[in-house]
Amino acid sequence: MGFFYIMDDMENDGLGCGEDVAVLTAGGDIDYGATPQLRERIVEHIAAGKRRLVLDLTKVTFIDSTAIGVLVGALVRLQGVGGGSLVVVCVEDNDKVMRIFEIAGVDNVIAVHRTREEALSALAVAG
Amino acid sequence: MRIADTGARARNGLRLPAHASQLGAARDYAWQTAAAFGFDAGACDELAFAVNEAVTNAIRHGAPDEHGQISVTATTNGDRLTLSVRDHGTFLGSPPNRSLLAERGRGFTLMMRLTDAVQLCIGLGSTTVHLSKARA
Repeated sequence: MGFFYIMDDMENDGLGCGEDVAVLTAGGDIDYGATPQLRERIVEHIAAGKRRLVLDLTKVTFIDSTAIGVLVGALVRLQGVGGGSLVVVCVEDNDKVMRIFEIAGVDNVIAVHRTREEALSALAVAG
Repeated sequence: MRIADTGARARNGLRLPAHASQLGAARDYAWQTAAAFGFDAGACDELAFAVNEAVTNAIRHGAPDEHGQISVTATTNGDRLTLSVRDHGTFLGSPPNRSLLAERGRGFTLMMRLTDAVQLCIGLGSTTVHLSKARA
């Protein structure tokens, strides 16, 4: 069974960007076995009033089409509730994630930032 | 461990329970088989990804055999390696969804972009996806 985790990053939560910002960190393999947990965490944050989500995928070692579907679904949902957004953080040399994003064309839909600081700055401007 | 061993794997293959917890094992099998055939790490990743998508489809939309299992097998032909994922459902297919904002329908598109050829063989009570890639 693959290894996967997702957790709230309390340290960066909000970080001067507003109370509707949440930072999540995921790691390991996000496959069909892990996407229910990914979806559940995102849905919980949206239900709690978060409208701008940062998802750090730097430590992710595998991502599949079901995970991409969850991310795109969350983005569409957030954009539909008053200009919300979802952005991703991933280092450029993480081929396992960036290659799939590129091939799936997701990098045209979901903004990918190299650092959390960059992502939070972009959200602050957007907010 | 080259063609002969890969051929042996073609006879034995990998049978695994049709459950999401087995996807890692399917990826490992695909990666190791591709590496043994002589693919570089990038190509091994691509085949492992493609097999993962096919096994995911088999788990989500297909049906296991009488033992609750699906199979992944490898065959070789010259410089070409084919990894085949078989389940016992009858594929009722839907066209790939080309919208970037779609939540579903990316699996086959990704498989096609990561391999040289994708063949879908549908019989009554049997669906097999063949994923082929040639060594450079």
